[in-house]
Amino acid sequence: MRGSSVDWLAAFLAAVALAAVPWLFANNYIVGVMTVALCFGIWAASWDFMSGLTGRENFGHSLFIGVGAYTAGFLNVNYGLSPWWSLVAAPGTAVLFSLIMGFPTLRLKGPYFALAMLSGAAVMQNLTIIFSVYTGGQDGLNGLDPILDSPLAYYYLTLLLMLAAVVILKLLANSSWGTILRAIRGDEASCQAAGINVTFYKIAALMISAAFAGLGGALYAHYQLQVGPDLFAIVLSINIIVMVYVGGLGSIYGPVGGAILLNVLTESLRAVSEYRLWVYTLILIFILFFMPQGLIAPLWRRVRGLLQ
Amino acid sequence: MTPLLRVEGLSKRFGGLHAVKNISFALDPGSVTGLLGPNGAGKTTVFNLLTGFLSFDTGSVEFDGRPLAGLPPHRIVNRGLARTFQLARPFQGMTVLENVEVACLAPRVNREGRPRQRARVLLDQVGLGNKADTVVDVLPYGDLRRLEIARALATRPRLLLLDEPFAGLGTSEIQPLADLISVLHQREGLAILIIEHKLRELMRLVRAVIAMDFGEVVAVGEPAMIVRHPRVVEAYIGKAELGQGDTDIARDPLGAA
Repeated sequence: MRGSSVDWLAAFLAAVALAAVPWLFANNYIVGVMTVALCFGIWAASWDFMSGLTGRENFGHSLFIGVGAYTAGFLNVNYGLSPWWSLVAAPGTAVLFSLIMGFPTLRLKGPYFALAMLSGAAVMQNLTIIFSVYTGGQDGLNGLDPILDSPLAYYYLTLLLMLAAVVILKLLANSSWGTILRAIRGDEASCQAAGINVTFYKIAALMISAAFAGLGGALYAHYQLQVGPDLFAIVLSINIIVMVYVGGLGSIYGPVGGAILLNVLTESLRAVSEYRLWVYTLILIFILFFMPQGLIAPLWRRVRGLLQ
Repeated sequence: MTPLLRVEGLSKRFGGLHAVKNISFALDPGSVTGLLGPNGAGKTTVFNLLTGFLSFDTGSVEFDGRPLAGLPPHRIVNRGLARTFQLARPFQGMTVLENVEVACLAPRVNREGRPRQRARVLLDQVGLGNKADTVVDVLPYGDLRRLEIARALATRPRLLLLDEPFAGLGTSEIQPLADLISVLHQREGLAILIIEHKLRELMRLVRAVIAMDFGEVVAVGEPAMIVRHPRVVEAYIGKAELGQGDTDIARDPLGAA
C-alpha cells in the first residue's frame, strides 16, 4: 500500500473509533470527558503546528485559548449573540492577538517570543481580574448558551471541528509551507540565505496556530457554559506542551493522541484520589524518559513501516 | 561592460574594531574573483555586508544597477545574489532533497517548475543525486559543501559568494569541487566571488584577486601578480627582514607558482 493511503486509512479508522466512543460507553460522563479531551486535541495540534514545526516554543498558548473563550463569553453573555458566532469571532480575536504578540517578537532571535507569550498570558489573566466589571473577575462570565443542547450532539460537533483542524494543519505541514517551517527549525540564517522570508512564515504560522486555539477556546467555553481567568493560566499552556511531547513533536496527529491519552489518564486516576498527581507524574516521567520522541507518533511510524 | 556588483567606500565598525575600512571594488558579470587575506582581515564580514546579514555603516553597494542598502538577506537573495557559509549550515533533521527544495521555494524561482523536481536536477548537477533521501545529519563534510552550493544555486543567482568552499576537505575532495565550480561558471555564466585559503586551488579558479588585510583592500590584480605583491607577502609572512637564505620564500612566497 502507498504511504499516504495507509495514513488516510489510519486517520479514518481513528475518526471512526472516536465517533464510536458514545456508543461503546453509553455514559454522559465519559462523553463529557472526551469532549474536553478533543478540545485539548485542537489546542495541542495547533501548538504543534507553530512550535513543533518551527522550533519556536510558545509558552503562552493559553493566551489564544483564553482570548477565544472570553470572546465567546462577551458576545454570548454580554451581547446576547447566538453561540454559533463564537466559532467565527473567537478565531478572529485570537489571530489579532497573535499579530500583537508575533510582530515585535518573532523578528528577533533568542528567547523573546517564548518569554513574551508566557508573560502575555499572565498579563491577560490579571486583566480579567482588574476589569472585573466586564469580565466577572475571578468568577468569570457565567450562563453561556451551549452551541448544541444535547451532550452527544456537542461531542460530535467538537469531533468534527477537531478532525477538520487536524486535517487542515496536517495538509499544511505536508505542503511546501511545512517544509519551510521545518527549515526554520533547522537553521534560520540558512533559510534567509535560501531566499525565504523567515519572519513572514513564523508570523503566519503563529496566526494559524492562534486561530485554531481560539476555536478550541470557544468550543470549550460553550461546553463548560462558563469562562474564567484560569483559561489564561500558565499551567494550561504547560499541560498542552506536555501533551505534544507525549504524542510526538512535529507530527500534528501525535499531540492529538497525547491530549486524549493524558485527559483520559487524568480522569481514570480519580479512583486513586490523593495519589493521583503522584501516579500521573510518574507515568509522565516514565514516558518522557524512555520515549523522548514521544509515544503516539513513533508508535504509528513503526506500525506503518510493518504495513508497507 | 557595466559591473554586476559595485562596492564603494564600504565600512563597518564593531565597537572599537574597524572591521571593514572604506572598501571599493567592482565585479563584472560572469567573472570569477578571489577574495584573499589572512584570518581576521574582514573577508567574511564583507560577505555578510553584501548579503544583508550585517548592515554597513557607510558606503554603497549596487547590484545589477540597484542599491542593496537596508534590504534584508532574503530580499537580496531574490535579487540574484546568493552565498554559502564558511561552516556548512544545513537544515538539520531534513533530507538532502528537502534542503535544496527549500531554496527552490524562494519567490525568485518558485514558479520555475515543481520545486521538488528542480531540487533533484540540482542535486544531480552537484553530484548528490544518489543521496537525495539521506537525512543531512549523517552527511560527510564534503557532501555538506556540495549541498550548500546546490542550495545557493537553487535561487538561480547571478553572483555567488563562496566562503571557503574547500575548508575542511581532503585533497581528493577538493579537485571535484573545484571542477564543479568552474563548470558552473562556464555553463551558467555565473559570476563568483570566492574566499579561500587553499591558494593553489584558488589561483587556478580565478581571473582576478582582491587582497585584504586589516579590513582594507591592499591589492587588486591578476593572481600571479597578487601573490608577489609586497603588501600580500607582508600580510601572510610578515615584513621582510629576510636574510640571503630566505629569498626562495620571497620569490615564491605562497608556493603558488
